[in-house]
Amino acid sequence: MAKVTVSKLAKLFPPPIKGGDVVRAITNIDFEVDGNVFVSIVGPSGCGKSTLLNILSGVDTPTSGSVTVTEAGKPAKLGYVFQDARLLPWRSVMDNMMYVRDDASDESVANAAKYLSMVGLDHTHEMFPGQLSGGMQQRVGIARAFSVEPDLLLMDEPFSHLDAMTARSLRDHLQELWSRTRKTVLFVTHDVMEAVQLSDRIIVLAPGGVIYDDISIDLPHPRKASDPKVATLQAEILGQFENMQIPAVE
Amino acid sequence: MTTLIQEVEPEPDSAIKRWLVSDRGATLSAAVLFLVMWQLLTLFAPRVPTPWAVVKIMWIEVTGGDYGSVRKGEFWNHYAATLQRYAYGLAIGFTAGVLVGALIGASNIARALISDTVLVLLALPAFVWAFLTTMWFGIGWQAPVLTVAFTAFPFVAVNVAQGVRAITPDLRHMSTAFGVTPVKRFRHLILAGITGYVFAGLRFAMIVSWNGVLLSEWFNGQVGVGFRTRYWFDANRYPGFLGWVISFIIFVVALDRLVLTKLQARAFRWRKTNDELDKDLLTTVG
Ligand SMILES: Nc1ncnc2c1ncn2[C@@H]1O[C@H](COP(=O)(O)OP(=O)(O)OP(=O)(O)O)[C@@H](O)[C@H]1O
Ligand SMILES: [Mg+2]
Repeated sequence: MAKVTVSKLAKLFPPPIKGGDVVRAITNIDFEVDGNVFVSIVGPSGCGKSTLLNILSGVDTPTSGSVTVTEAGKPAKLGYVFQDARLLPWRSVMDNMMYVRDDASDESVANAAKYLSMVGLDHTHEMFPGQLSGGMQQRVGIARAFSVEPDLLLMDEPFSHLDAMTARSLRDHLQELWSRTRKTVLFVTHDVMEAVQLSDRIIVLAPGGVIYDDISIDLPHPRKASDPKVATLQAEILGQFENMQIPAVE
Repeated sequence: MTTLIQEVEPEPDSAIKRWLVSDRGATLSAAVLFLVMWQLLTLFAPRVPTPWAVVKIMWIEVTGGDYGSVRKGEFWNHYAATLQRYAYGLAIGFTAGVLVGALIGASNIARALISDTVLVLLALPAFVWAFLTTMWFGIGWQAPVLTVAFTAFPFVAVNVAQGVRAITPDLRHMSTAFGVTPVKRFRHLILAGITGYVFAGLRFAMIVSWNGVLLSEWFNGQVGVGFRTRYWFDANRYPGFLGWVISFIIFVVALDRLVLTKLQARAFRWRKTNDELDKDLLTTVG
């Protein structure tokens, strides 16, 4: 059970053009996630969602404030699913899985194979990423992130580059994987419907990188998109969003 | 209503057609065609030696015998000398190319400072280096070795730089996020990422610098393939001249077909989709 603590977090980027204003990607965010919950972070483009995940994963550093990600007091192990698959193009699917794993024992290979199998990619072990479709590559990325058995799983719009049908089937794969493993997940998305279907909690960010709302969703997992209860809730929350006065970026 | 469409297996090409477009078939049929054209040409141009005259003299070069000053094993001695210079020159040019290429690929400052120079070098033909190095070092091993090094260098550098740039920040971020160790990163991210580009650069470098070593020997050597070619040229013995020219053409074509193309294709396997792999089997022409 990972514990994520974000306090007074801010991130500024240097002005994109000379003499311009600094970019406020995140302004003073506080939140906490504790336990095996699925949390979505929703907000319009440019409100600092990817920046937040990058800081949590140590790829980027905060300008001020702090983040800690711990598992029973120790630094947590992370898995990351990116917007694109980010596989090493010159390594086979299996080698890509092994690249992020700590040991190369037979057991470890079998474990990687198990996760590939869960996303329906049994026959692809020896293939190169360039020989897979975009959706298949993304599934490798998902299997890779789950296979390191992370304490915290970060996902940055993992389905946004895919067509609706593929995205839907991957959402089902994801729910199934999650129901079995119950990791702590931070899931970034533009898509409110997707967030409602998948998460226990939705954190809404507004432009400038401030928290606008924090919504709990209390429905059992896994949830089908066709389930009327899910659909009702989606409609309800979508309605709330329409009434939100999300401040525009200056 | 459902329409049943009969599944048709794509029909394989006939055996002859497959053989003709295969590597070996293409090489062999081109060679035969070339020989026929050549023989026909000698009918109209008496100064051009016949294939048979060329074979005769090259046979003597290889096995030794009576033909002017030819001693036994002349052919192998010259090839050995040339190949040695070629190998040393390539080793120098390749090492320098990898180092400078890595620098250009990794650092924007290095790119701004030296990438134009490398492009200029790329555009300089081998004979310029053959002249310059002979002027600088006179007769000796330095001129051919350095000619090879200078011609090979920019090809390797440009390709390695491209390879390093193919390792995107995204992939580095991914490695950081998953906590991949530096050793693994070096091996699977950096080395594996540039291998294909290194081979591509080496291949061009080897083909171009082969001309370089021959030219240099033509101007300055006392031994070597280029030297021997000139020897026959100066002696007005065209069968010998042509025989040597053909031998070094065969050498570079065989090197490319049998070794370099295969190495490059193997190292770049990952770049291909299935379709491209198929196509490549049909057209391995350099
Ligand atoms: N490396 C960077 N250098 C400069 N500015 C950056 C950098 N990364 C992000 N930004 C800026 O920070 C802001 C937030 O970017 P971020 O990528 O976090 O947005 P996002 O919420 O993930 O958007 P999207 O939904 O489109 O992915 C943007 O204005 C962006 O231009
Ligand atoms: Mg983003």
